[in-house]
Amino acid sequence: MSARNHIRESAGDHAFNLAVLIFLILFGVVMAVPMIAELAVSLSSKIASQTGTIGLVPVGFTFASWEFMLRNAGLWRSLGISAASTALVVVISLLINAMMAYPLSKRNFAPVKVLMLVVVFTMIFKAPTIPYFLTLRGYGLYNSFWAMVVPQVISAYNLLVMRSFFQSFPAEIEEAAEIDGCGKFRMFFRIVLPSSKAVIATVGLFYGVGAWNQYATPLMMIQDTALFPLQLKIHQLVNAASGDIAAAVKVSTANYTNDTLGAAAVIFSMVPVLLIYPFVQKYFAKGAMLGSVKG
Amino acid sequence: MSDSRWAGTAGGRLARHFRNFWPYYVMILPGLTFLILIKYIPMAGSVIAFQNFSLRRGIWGSPWVGLENFRKLLDYDDFHRVFRNTLILGALKTLIVFPVPILLALLMNELRQALVKKSIQTVVTIPHFISWVIVGGLTFDVLGASGLFNQIRSLFGLEMILPMQKSAWFRPVYVLTSIWKESGWGTVVYLAAISGIDPGLYESASIDGASRFQKMTRITFPMILPTAVTLFLINIGSFLDLGFDQVFNLYTPMTYDVADIFDTYVYRSGIQQGKYSFSTAVGLFQSVIGFILVVVFNRLSKRVSEDGGLW
Repeated sequence: MSARNHIRESAGDHAFNLAVLIFLILFGVVMAVPMIAELAVSLSSKIASQTGTIGLVPVGFTFASWEFMLRNAGLWRSLGISAASTALVVVISLLINAMMAYPLSKRNFAPVKVLMLVVVFTMIFKAPTIPYFLTLRGYGLYNSFWAMVVPQVISAYNLLVMRSFFQSFPAEIEEAAEIDGCGKFRMFFRIVLPSSKAVIATVGLFYGVGAWNQYATPLMMIQDTALFPLQLKIHQLVNAASGDIAAAVKVSTANYTNDTLGAAAVIFSMVPVLLIYPFVQKYFAKGAMLGSVKG
Repeated sequence: MSDSRWAGTAGGRLARHFRNFWPYYVMILPGLTFLILIKYIPMAGSVIAFQNFSLRRGIWGSPWVGLENFRKLLDYDDFHRVFRNTLILGALKTLIVFPVPILLALLMNELRQALVKKSIQTVVTIPHFISWVIVGGLTFDVLGASGLFNQIRSLFGLEMILPMQKSAWFRPVYVLTSIWKESGWGTVVYLAAISGIDPGLYESASIDGASRFQKMTRITFPMILPTAVTLFLINIGSFLDLGFDQVFNLYTPMTYDVADIFDTYVYRSGIQQGKYSFSTAVGLFQSVIGFILVVVFNRLSKRVSEDGGLW
């Protein structure tokens, strides 16, 4: 009786497993399709692009669009600008945030309550866009490389993530060090910080992704195309039937179109993310947990 | 401590506090400075909503006009349109987009093939790290004249259409791109919550003859419900934060009537047309409503679960 029951149930379980497997594989495929299609377009010929016959595999395979894109000095320049600003944001923000989050994690430090209010308030009351823009302009950040760095270096959310990590740092270790006459600076830089690699990696990842993908601030602040970060450059390349692309496409011998060039640009800008992805993947779960439900 | 002549007096306590804690003040200083420069000074700059601000005269020289900008805004058709769009897109996001990661996490948890699970997780999480410019580019290409969407339509003998130029299509596109970009990332939290469930629960359910499906709906789902409720309330709190980047990279002048939200409207009227005071009034309206929503729903979320709430 019970044996038969068991068998019937596992047959049901088996069907359930299969249904889940099929559904999720389909879901994953649908998610991947836009990227695969874009890659196919970027590797296809002019005629294929114009006749609209490119599906998930390149038609009239050619590297023409990629050759044109990779020779575009502006694209490399923008890549460099994005890389430099992202690196600066990560380094500066981690230093500033860790230093601020540590005292905020101390319950015996009297001003913590007031300071936390100051921090949290910036999360729930957002300054309107126009005064934000005018203020940054007032700091001389208009058409300046630093417009992509300075506004990114502190976020209340990441500060709270770090603080909650420091709060869980074992108090006994710090007490022992304090008895040995360890000062507060040394405590932080020599003892607490070196054992906080997980949170540093996580928060660094958050700041890095934010800085790399930032769009609104550079859009408002950077008019000079020579200073365009990668995201603005891609927007310009994808949308512009203008400038160098429009001229290039008109050349009759060229084996590319606006579409294939735009596709190459889009894939190009995804490459750095895909390259870094495997190295940061292991920090996701930790980061999402730290910063999900409670900061 | 006790040998100090000042011990016990207010001044003495203060001096002792600073002698003890001055490194903390030094450590806080850079972060606090940036918070003030980047967050608080622009907040104070919102006073131009009550002025007729011009760049030439600046904040100190521009004339004060009281609530005139707000009165103008309430009479303005554009404002009502933008407000309505923001509410509708926010509602779609909360009702349709929000549950997707929960469902996805429940199903992924049932996958026994480790390699398949890992691959699917990777594919669905990657879009989180891609900017909206890129997602916008992909969307325009897939839905373009020669894109995949129209190729599939032509297989079924349907005529070519351009969804990105049609108002009726904007909301579905908004919802689908939101799911495409963030649903995989959203599962990370739920999968972590699932991994914390006591295995004993599943074992005793098996002994009682529960099927896999029953275990999912009767154990896994209820166990992650508190996390979901907390995130749901936080989500409603940030209802008005639809994201400038997403809409800006997906809309076209043909879809402004349904796509324009506060953030994109403020960008066009303020930055591009230079209506500084009026646009600040719109932005301030959004910030104040947003503030109230976050505070109310944060309180609710704290009532629901002890570690709920954003702070």
